[in-house]
Amino acid sequence: MNELNSVMLLECKGLTFRYPRRHSHVFKDLTCQISGPGFHALFGPSGVGKTTLAKIIASEITGFPGTAMTHDMGPILYSYNLERLPGWCSTGDHLAEVTPEVNQGKIHDLVRFFGLQECLNSRFAQLSLGQQNRINLTRYLLQDFNLLIMDESLANVDEATREQIILKIKDMFPTKSFLYISHNVMEVSKFCEEILVLRSPYKSPQAVCVIGQDYREGRSLKKRDLELTMLEVVHAT
Amino acid sequence: MLHRRIYQFLVVYFLGLVFLFLVKHLLHLSDYVVPSFRELWQTGHSVFARYLLAVLDTLAVAIVGHILSIFMATVVGIIGRLTTWLGSFIRVAAYNIQAYPIVAVAPIIFILLGDGLSSRLLITAMICYFPLLLSFLGILSEPVVPIEHFYVATKRTSWRLEVKIRAFESIGKLTTVIVGSATLAMVGTIVAEFIAADAGIGYSIRIALYQSDLAKILVALFLIGICTSLYLALLEWMGRLVQKKWEIPSGG
Repeated sequence: MNELNSVMLLECKGLTFRYPRRHSHVFKDLTCQISGPGFHALFGPSGVGKTTLAKIIASEITGFPGTAMTHDMGPILYSYNLERLPGWCSTGDHLAEVTPEVNQGKIHDLVRFFGLQECLNSRFAQLSLGQQNRINLTRYLLQDFNLLIMDESLANVDEATREQIILKIKDMFPTKSFLYISHNVMEVSKFCEEILVLRSPYKSPQAVCVIGQDYREGRSLKKRDLELTMLEVVHAT
Repeated sequence: MLHRRIYQFLVVYFLGLVFLFLVKHLLHLSDYVVPSFRELWQTGHSVFARYLLAVLDTLAVAIVGHILSIFMATVVGIIGRLTTWLGSFIRVAAYNIQAYPIVAVAPIIFILLGDGLSSRLLITAMICYFPLLLSFLGILSEPVVPIEHFYVATKRTSWRLEVKIRAFESIGKLTTVIVGSATLAMVGTIVAEFIAADAGIGYSIRIALYQSDLAKILVALFLIGICTSLYLALLEWMGRLVQKKWEIPSGG
């Protein structure tokens, strides 16, 4: 038990939440946990409360009954796909400006692996949606964090590039924790270590944890195992 | 831009003149009420230089008052964007005070400050200040969440950055509001001079009014229109320069 607590990433107990002036609850006595570090997922149908839970974890939403503990894990960042960079400078200048001194050396690597070399002289609005998503995620990865929540952060990126990016993130940040919010059942089953499946507040329990395949470079992946995980995730939904 | 503004003003001015002469003709009014075209031309010749200087004097006061009100609206807008009680108090006060007609307060200002530059300047600034303030408050108190979120999450946000982001995102609106309020600045100065002053084109119009000299008033209106058009065109040009410098071309 002590060993489990020492690696606990997130633990919610009796979490109840309702937006002001709304009748229905988003969470009713939600209890769930994820152990870390690693690449984990938050999965569930639209409107089930994935973004709300992510904001609660990142302390962007406070004041609710129950607890959402992150076990003093340090800086938690929440990123989402609709974020924009300021338009008064190029994306390259912005990255250089917002990257802490200690991480300046990582800019080149991340930009190269994410295929963003040609975007650095452009303004954010000149980029395609996929490039915008990647540059936004890059600046978050260059920050000091222990948990990064990626709320559909690669939503407009093609599948092959997305796969490359996830593998690179897992390779570059083995000691960090990630909570990846996506609607792609195959992707979360294949790449994530633990998949927290959120369900409607009328179902009990409201969250189910499924163990994913945690695929990474150099590791084999059995098709049958992946299919079983996907079935488990879909069934849990 | 400039030629379009001047052209539009000339069309409106001469249409107004035609309408005036039509009314004169239809109602058989005397030259004493509505001057003849020849009298108008002669008056123009005789007062042009004096009135031009008076209009330039008015324009100078309007520009200084306008700059003053932009500065005040920016400062108060920055404080008013706060979510604290102070910000809330400033927003409510601004909405309430702007509903009161400033022209009605003008006599009090003249009683207290007398017929001088300070009174003209104050009334000008007050007349164009409130519309500016309401727009500035609206723009500066509206968070641009998709951009600001990163800075808040990484604890890099500051009031300067907040203002920069919000002003940048609404640069087009800000330019339009500033150009729009320039007309108000000119109106404010003329109203101030008209009520009580010892200089400016508003003061000249007041004297012409006492003399029932419509020709002089029409010449004054012509010069006011030309000078205001020049100032508006200058502001639009400056606004375009700023927007061009910060231009955000779209792509994909």
